Amino acid sequence: MKFIIKILKDFPAYLWSGWGAIASIFLFIAFWDIGNQVYGALVLPSPLETFKTLTTMLQDESVWKEINITLYRASVGFGLSLIFGSLLGLLAGFFVTASIMSRPIVTILVGMPPIAWIVLAMIWFGMGDETVIFTVIVASFPIIFVGALQGTRTLDDDLKEMADSFKLPWHMKFFDVYFPHIFSYVFPAWVSGLGMAWKIVIMAELLATSDGMGASLAVSRSQLDTPTTLALVVIMIGSLMFIEYIILEPIKREVELWRD
Amino acid sequence: MNDNSREESNHANNHYLYYPDEKDVPTYLAYGFRPIFLLLPPYIVISMILWALVWSGYLNIPFMDNTLTWHVYEMLFGILTAGVLAFLTTGLPELFPGMVPFIGKRLKYIMILWIAGRVSFWFIDITGVYLTAILNLSMLLWLIWFAKDVVLDKLQRHSSLGYILVVIFGIETWFFASVSGHAITPSLDILKVALGAIVVLILLAMRRVNMESVNELMEDKDIDDIYIARPPVTNLAIFTVILFTIVEFLYPDSSTLGWLGFAAGAAILGITSDYKLKDEFILNQPFVLYYASIFVMLSIGYTLMGWDLLNEDIYGINHFRHFITTGGIGLAYMMVIITIGWIHTGRNLTSSIYTHLMIILIIIAAFMRGLIPFFEEYSSELYLWSAIVWTIPFLLYMKVFYKFLLTPRADGIQG
Repeated sequence: MKFIIKILKDFPAYLWSGWGAIASIFLFIAFWDIGNQVYGALVLPSPLETFKTLTTMLQDESVWKEINITLYRASVGFGLSLIFGSLLGLLAGFFVTASIMSRPIVTILVGMPPIAWIVLAMIWFGMGDETVIFTVIVASFPIIFVGALQGTRTLDDDLKEMADSFKLPWHMKFFDVYFPHIFSYVFPAWVSGLGMAWKIVIMAELLATSDGMGASLAVSRSQLDTPTTLALVVIMIGSLMFIEYIILEPIKREVELWRD
Repeated sequence: MNDNSREESNHANNHYLYYPDEKDVPTYLAYGFRPIFLLLPPYIVISMILWALVWSGYLNIPFMDNTLTWHVYEMLFGILTAGVLAFLTTGLPELFPGMVPFIGKRLKYIMILWIAGRVSFWFIDITGVYLTAILNLSMLLWLIWFAKDVVLDKLQRHSSLGYILVVIFGIETWFFASVSGHAITPSLDILKVALGAIVVLILLAMRRVNMESVNELMEDKDIDDIYIARPPVTNLAIFTVILFTIVEFLYPDSSTLGWLGFAAGAAILGITSDYKLKDEFILNQPFVLYYASIFVMLSIGYTLMGWDLLNEDIYGINHFRHFITTGGIGLAYMMVIITIGWIHTGRNLTSSIYTHLMIILIIIAAFMRGLIPFFEEYSSELYLWSAIVWTIPFLLYMKVFYKFLLTPRADGIQG
């Protein structure tokens, strides 16, 4: 509870410190605008036109339906990876044999291109939710697994010994010694896993489904509707930035505070 | 004064190791800022009255048939040289403790040069543009020569101040070349470039003033923390302002410029995030809010200019620019003369109803002037009243600070 209050208390200052980041986003948009002037509106619509399209799109209920479908798939896939990735990773970290054994398997999972997984999943599950969710899981699971594994592998033995010699009760040992350390590894892994899930869900939808934002992207592509395409991209990037910078980053900062 | 008592006094009071042993230096020439702060506020008041008479037609000064250009010129360069003179002659001996303060007779001659520059400006139709050019350019050139230590400093800690002054000198030369027919660039466009350079100078100078005085303020009030104005934050703001200025010169109507305006607005506002300290809360200190208001006004100016460029229904970019000039730059000068007026006359930074009013009235004047596009029907009243409201703080300054400027330092130190 104290932890949450601290995050909320620091939140306004955290938000205010974001002006520099906003400035660099605007610089990026300015470069985008130059691209529009050089290559024309068909190739690259102007930022202003894109944002106007976006506003009209967001007033349309069917667009929200597509967004919800995508959100559902991403969260189911990511949620399953989060639970199993963290649990299995933590467990594997406690046993040296398990970590040695799991390493190459993770490399195989990470090394396999997501597009190949999509193709396989389309053969296994057909066109639909399962294909997308499966692809999301295989893409984000290894990231979370490795993070959790590192978290337990790198636990400081001296600290463990100290906790033992002071005869700390198990709950103190867990919340004050192990948890902050493990969490500081697992949490960043969740963040990158989420980023991966959000990207993969769009790609899988584009190739394997007829609904969701990825499918809308495919439709706008076939109609050469570049403003809509870019507006969709803005929604994807915007929502990812919102989750990452507004929700996760403040938590991450608090979690990692003990490190300095 | 012995070393012990010098150590006891706070750090901005023991800035120079040597004080020149010139005899019979009158108090008003005892340190660089004194004569300037005695002359600049009344000059601003008088020139605003003169402008009011010129614009309303009671006073006939044709200004080479280009009154607007020359109005902008004087508000930018005429006041700038005085502000920079005060900042450099007061600040450099503090940044470089081995430097001998610039006082007495030599200070008097430089002040006469500045006054001559102002007189030649108002009589430009009689004395001609070349005299004005020579007097004003030599003033700036002298300032650059005076600041040469900054550039020659091996550590290059403050060299950016020197370089930007050289750039401003180049722009002023370019301006005079244009008005005298030796360059084809429209003089008003050059003045917009000058404004960008001056904003950069102000960001650089304010970073130093800010850090020095906010930390001193905290020391006075026993607030145990340290304020650091991080250079990268200021540099990002400077980068965006330079980009905006260059693009505005080359492509004044481009939509890209609009986004750059937003970028500059956000980057400048970012400077205020450093006021959030690690442990202590200082945003309840009036002086911190005063300094922050400079960046807020500059930011509003660039953001509104950006918005104007992206919005087809509104044409007010030069009105919005007054948030930068009337607002940001006006506040920056005000804060420099208030800060130096307290600290370098041997006093603590003190806020009162007068300092509150000086800042608030400038902000109100900037809003009155900058928001004219939204209140077109009252535009003539707003032009007049914003000028009047903007002048009052300088009258208040004279009331509060003249007695300090005309008497020796309160702590007995020379200067």
